[in-house]
Amino acid sequence: MDRRTFLHHVFLWTAGLTVTIPRFRVSTAFAGQSSTSRLAVGKDIDYGLLVEKTLAALNGMNAFIRPGDKVVIKPNIGWDRSPEQAANTHPLVVKALVEHALEAGAAKVQVFDRTCNEQRRCYKNSGIEDTLKGLKNKKVSLEHIDQRKFVPVDLERGKSLSRMEIYRDVLEADSYINVPVAKHHGLSRLTLGLKNSMGVIGGNRGKLHFNLGQKLADLATVVRPTLTVIDATRMLLRNGPQGGSLNDVQISNTVIASADPVAADAYATTLFGLKPEEIASTKAAYDLGLGEMTIDNLQIIEV
Amino acid sequence: MANRKHIIPLSRWRQLSQAVCLLLFLFLFSKTDYTGSDQLEYAVNIIFRFDPLIATAVMLAAKSVVLLLLPALILVALSLLLGRFFCGWACPLGTLIDLVHPLLKSHNPALDTRFPRLRYGILAFLLSAAFFGLPLVGYLDPFSLLVRGLTLAVEPAINHAATSFFTFTYQKAPALVNLVTEPLYDFLQATILPFSQKHYHLVYLSMAILATVFLLELNQRRFFCRNLCPLGALLGLLARFGLMNGAGGNDACGRCTTCRNICRMGAIDEQRHIDMAACTLCLECLDKCPRSTIIFNWKKPLTLQTGYSGSRRFFLGSLTAGALLPLFTNVRGLAKVTNQRLIRPPGALGEKEFLSLCVRCGECMKVCIGNTLQPVFLEAGIEGMFSPKVDSRLGYCEFNCTLCGQVCPTGAIRELQLTEKHTFKIGQAFFDKNRCLPYARGIPCMVCEEHCPTADKAIKFNETMATNDRGQQVQVKQPFVVAELCIGCGICEHKCPLPGAAAIRITNAGETRSPDKALPVASAGYG
Repeated sequence: MDRRTFLHHVFLWTAGLTVTIPRFRVSTAFAGQSSTSRLAVGKDIDYGLLVEKTLAALNGMNAFIRPGDKVVIKPNIGWDRSPEQAANTHPLVVKALVEHALEAGAAKVQVFDRTCNEQRRCYKNSGIEDTLKGLKNKKVSLEHIDQRKFVPVDLERGKSLSRMEIYRDVLEADSYINVPVAKHHGLSRLTLGLKNSMGVIGGNRGKLHFNLGQKLADLATVVRPTLTVIDATRMLLRNGPQGGSLNDVQISNTVIASADPVAADAYATTLFGLKPEEIASTKAAYDLGLGEMTIDNLQIIEV
Repeated sequence: MANRKHIIPLSRWRQLSQAVCLLLFLFLFSKTDYTGSDQLEYAVNIIFRFDPLIATAVMLAAKSVVLLLLPALILVALSLLLGRFFCGWACPLGTLIDLVHPLLKSHNPALDTRFPRLRYGILAFLLSAAFFGLPLVGYLDPFSLLVRGLTLAVEPAINHAATSFFTFTYQKAPALVNLVTEPLYDFLQATILPFSQKHYHLVYLSMAILATVFLLELNQRRFFCRNLCPLGALLGLLARFGLMNGAGGNDACGRCTTCRNICRMGAIDEQRHIDMAACTLCLECLDKCPRSTIIFNWKKPLTLQTGYSGSRRFFLGSLTAGALLPLFTNVRGLAKVTNQRLIRPPGALGEKEFLSLCVRCGECMKVCIGNTLQPVFLEAGIEGMFSPKVDSRLGYCEFNCTLCGQVCPTGAIRELQLTEKHTFKIGQAFFDKNRCLPYARGIPCMVCEEHCPTADKAIKFNETMATNDRGQQVQVKQPFVVAELCIGCGICEHKCPLPGAAAIRITNAGETRSPDKALPVASAGYG
């Protein structure tokens, strides 16, 4: 039973009248995964084109979104920083993904993040708010986090966490596209796709920092992106995760995309000159069987 | 019935003016918030700049001309010309009092003002105390009192009520109900509700003070305006010597005292003379006078009319009290040792000057997007109550935000440019290594370092071996603060995941505004 069917049933059984907040049990069974994880790496100075050709290498957005789907695109909008400071996902990368989702027939495209700095400032100064408003498309919504939408979810396969509050829209989405920005992080060394999913959980996130890698992997057992697109157009090399100085930013004009969240993180790690297993969350997710982290086992398409 | 001269009664025009002014005030109040631009377009602070009471008190306290407050001269000039019209036609607090009056009507209202001298005594006391070093004007200034009460108590409570209701419908009500409630909630959020739920200290006290102003209506109409309001007293003095004159009834009125009975300010005596120091030109008497004999014009009678002439002894007594009380401020413990947790907003002037200028309006707390600016209770002395402090556990000072300096009506918090704000030190973070997880228990954390906003992080870490709480040797990153880089924004204390007190806390040590609090610099030696 997938998430959507489950919710349909909940609403049918209760005639829409739920007495308590539903607790979600998200299926953690694997969809038939191919033996090799495909991963596309694109490089271009035109970020619209960059996203387009990287997606094309994975057979385009149609491979991830069916017409009528409810799509969640989750960039990193965590910080009150400008695009060139490389703390948030680049607005043009987000915009391109939203456009491709619409072209693939998405009925609704939601974009949000639970920010660290004040939310309005983050949405505004990341450039993402204005860029998406510019699309003038009613199917696209950039919403601030609504605290009412966090629902407790049991992590049946979790090793360090057994339950977490997760944003309802992510659980209900037909397609969840995770769009982290690749950058340095003091504690976890790097913040990539698995870390980016922290933006969909509620409660006191600071408490997760003990054994963070395992907890991120636990989270990844239920928050499973259909597609991960890592924005390495600019890479924050030091003073992450929020930076602030352009001296710490390296322009790389690169985007990585894969249906395998572990593979995407693993490959992105190499861009920083680190090995995939040096990132605790990648290692923990690999050990849970959530994806591939050995670079040699990946089918890498460079465009 | 009266032979009305006006198709639309004049008091209707007054009510229209009151409504427009109140709506304008509420509009500016709700716009006192971040709206996507670093510079505010509107703020309710404008009203404070037209307030001659605040202008006088602040300038006496600061002993200098505060240019920001010069628009108050406009209201002075208008009051000389039109009398105390402001209280009747514009003051948002007066209008709100008029609005709640029907709910709190007393069956046996007192016609005569209960304490006709009191407001002058308060005025004299406030101004004198301000001059001699005890700035208290914000406690009773009507705008301060109102904006503060709305900010700290009323608006958060309304928002909480709305959020609770719509959370209930969202989680418990059938989907059909949500088809109506959800769009309604969206609409309210987009219009009148604040963006986020704020929490404030002193919420009950602020609410109680504001509520008292309204509850006094039970005793007599416009009790606050007649008996207490120091701004009303000041405008009344201007009116008394100004041009506007109200010609009341005369002997031909016989026993009719309609005007006296309906006067909300007790401005008309038994001889039906109108006291211009009390009259707010509400014009009810003009509308209701059966003989249409009441006229307002600019013809002053040759002799000053009746009304309160002031008892010299009471007036001088108030002045003296205001002069003597400040003597005690300098012999408090506070005068020697200030509270280390009294962290003032970025751009705040030196403490003495700051308190002289701060009018306790709560504007900075209203606009603070981090919800970190909180009203002080007694930590800053008796004159410091309701002045703003940074409470880093409750919220934090947003690195790229300069709004508090923009809304401060008097310049007690000066407006900082962003580059200046980035290095303006309001305090300094200190670790409590007995509680900090990597130090105390060998548990990795680093949430503080993650959030530290300075481009070169003020929180750095050493990677080292430590003993965890099972006695094992573990490798862990232990954070420390670089004093030269820390600006005291408090995001580290706010985000520290420990329950209760944070393991990293801000004090006002090293704050830019107090040179005497400068921290020791290693290179220069210490002691």
